[in-house]
Amino acid sequence: MALLEGRNLRKTYKLGRNNTVLALKGLDVDVEAGEMVAIMGPSGSGKSTLMHILGLLHAPDPNHGPAPALTLGGENVGLLSDAARTTIRARRMGFVFQDFNLVPTLTALENVLLACEYAGVPGKAARAAALETLGLVGLAERAAHKPSELSGGEQQRVAIARALVNRPELILADEPTGNLDSERSAEILALLRSCNREHGQTIVLVTHDAEVGEACDRIVRMRDGRILDAGLAMDAQAPARMSAQPSAAPSVAGA
Amino acid sequence: MRLLRDLGRRKLRSGLTITGIMIGIMALVVFGSMANKISTLVAGGSSYYKDKVVVSATGGTMGTGGPMALANGDQVARVDGVDVVAADVSMLLTDSVVGVTMGTPPTIQGSIAGADKGRETFQIHYASGRELTPQDEGKDVVVLGSDLARKDNVKVGDTYMLRGEPFQVVGILEPTLTSPDNEAMVPMAAGQRLYLKTLPPLVAASLKASELATGFVVYLKPGADPATVKQGIESAVPGVTAMTGADFDQQIGATTSMLNSILVGIGLISLVVGGLSVINTMAMAVAERTREIGIKRAIGASRWRIRREIVAESALVGLVGGLLGLALGALIVTLGNEAGRSSATILFELTPWTAASSVGFATILGALAGLVPAWHASGLDPVSALRYE
Repeated sequence: MALLEGRNLRKTYKLGRNNTVLALKGLDVDVEAGEMVAIMGPSGSGKSTLMHILGLLHAPDPNHGPAPALTLGGENVGLLSDAARTTIRARRMGFVFQDFNLVPTLTALENVLLACEYAGVPGKAARAAALETLGLVGLAERAAHKPSELSGGEQQRVAIARALVNRPELILADEPTGNLDSERSAEILALLRSCNREHGQTIVLVTHDAEVGEACDRIVRMRDGRILDAGLAMDAQAPARMSAQPSAAPSVAGA
Repeated sequence: MRLLRDLGRRKLRSGLTITGIMIGIMALVVFGSMANKISTLVAGGSSYYKDKVVVSATGGTMGTGGPMALANGDQVARVDGVDVVAADVSMLLTDSVVGVTMGTPPTIQGSIAGADKGRETFQIHYASGRELTPQDEGKDVVVLGSDLARKDNVKVGDTYMLRGEPFQVVGILEPTLTSPDNEAMVPMAAGQRLYLKTLPPLVAASLKASELATGFVVYLKPGADPATVKQGIESAVPGVTAMTGADFDQQIGATTSMLNSILVGIGLISLVVGGLSVINTMAMAVAERTREIGIKRAIGASRWRIRREIVAESALVGLVGGLLGLALGALIVTLGNEAGRSSATILFELTPWTAASSVGFATILGALAGLVPAWHASGLDPVSALRYE
């Protein structure tokens, strides 16, 4: 059974009085545990919307036709209340954004601790977990620094630490390398892959970058609110592609 | 503390908002202390008048009445319900009453020591020296209230001038927080003599000092109704007005409670203005942190948590403003009382309750002011908030 299953996902946004956008047109998607999946497609294809629904930030529209369904680890989470979805996001999911989005008045450690706080992890345990995760991303010595004192690559690594600290079932990353140069992008990508390969962390990411897409187990291609290609046919080729990657052992130090 | 860092994001803006609250609380503290002082004076007077009836010549102001005959006292004594009658003479200490004094102006009180036959319940304590005794009758000695003594730094044994005549100080009272603090008490004969001097020459010529009184303090028999006794006195003796405790409460109580309300009302209004400025500031803070709020909601902060953050920050603004306002208000109150000492006027009474409730009120006001911006913040859609530029 897939970790995350979506059926008949539909989403409409109202942009103005007479202006509605049909972002998702009733699609099905599966994410297996331990997978690293890329969602790619042109602007307006609905990939961000799909991400938001998978991340329980928005609920799928109740349909006129077949009812939508979204299950996480077998649990039906599709039509839960906002409060319930928030709790699941806090405890079972991690988010990484294009703009890093750290709280400017908090140190790196405190930013990571936020995720622990929201998940209800008590003080001492939270601190230990946060420090460990910062170590994992190679920023243990920078824990007391504020975002303004960190480079873009470092900030994104703090964001990844924040997403990882509660050992979530799923990490969702929206253009995680979008604001980084190619070197930093490669480092972040390597870090994400290492989390996936070495720790079995399931990762779903939205990206424009073909290189990022190819580093993943499969690519889900979208267009106009539908899935063109779920990338399942690529499975057989995946091991070959993996070994063709330049650095199999990820280095996460130095940014 | 994280909250303090949030306040520090926009130091000038936070500073201005806190200043607004500070000014409001300062006003509340200062005016509240004034109101406290008035209440204490009134309470003192009210308890003094509770069990007695005070007779004075109709038309005079309290404590400085027209002349009556000492013999009227006997007429009063015969009225039903009257137990003991004590005559006294009172006049202003000086003819010029400068400015507005809190409470009664300084007066000279001439009385017969022991005339109350032990019926007086108002407690008078002596800081130094002694009380007047029947042996003092005929001598020029004086007991001073605490404010008068402090004003001229007088000690027992010093000479004190009353209307141009020297008197020897034999006692000084402890502060009572009400009218005795401003009184100079002398034996009856001396009082009568001084009083005669204050009257216009034509009137004085036709009177004898030893027959004068300006007031009678009437102590009632147990169970006697003050209102009935009052009526009895006013019909028995022409040209006099009798005042009961109820009359005092009515006259003074009404005016002072209105004054209290005005004072405290001013303080509250300035606080409301401060509160509005907190709402404005928090609304701006929420707008500026829209993206951040989106992030926090995305990674799992509940709506309640977001609200709590905003309200905690605005409550802190209120608390800091309240503490600063209290400090500033306390400073003004202390300086004001010091300045007033020289004219024997204590204007302010800052009680622990006034202090604590002012700071508490400021904090609660801050928290309430943060509620609307907080509600708005918690209602933001995380996705749109995340993209906010």
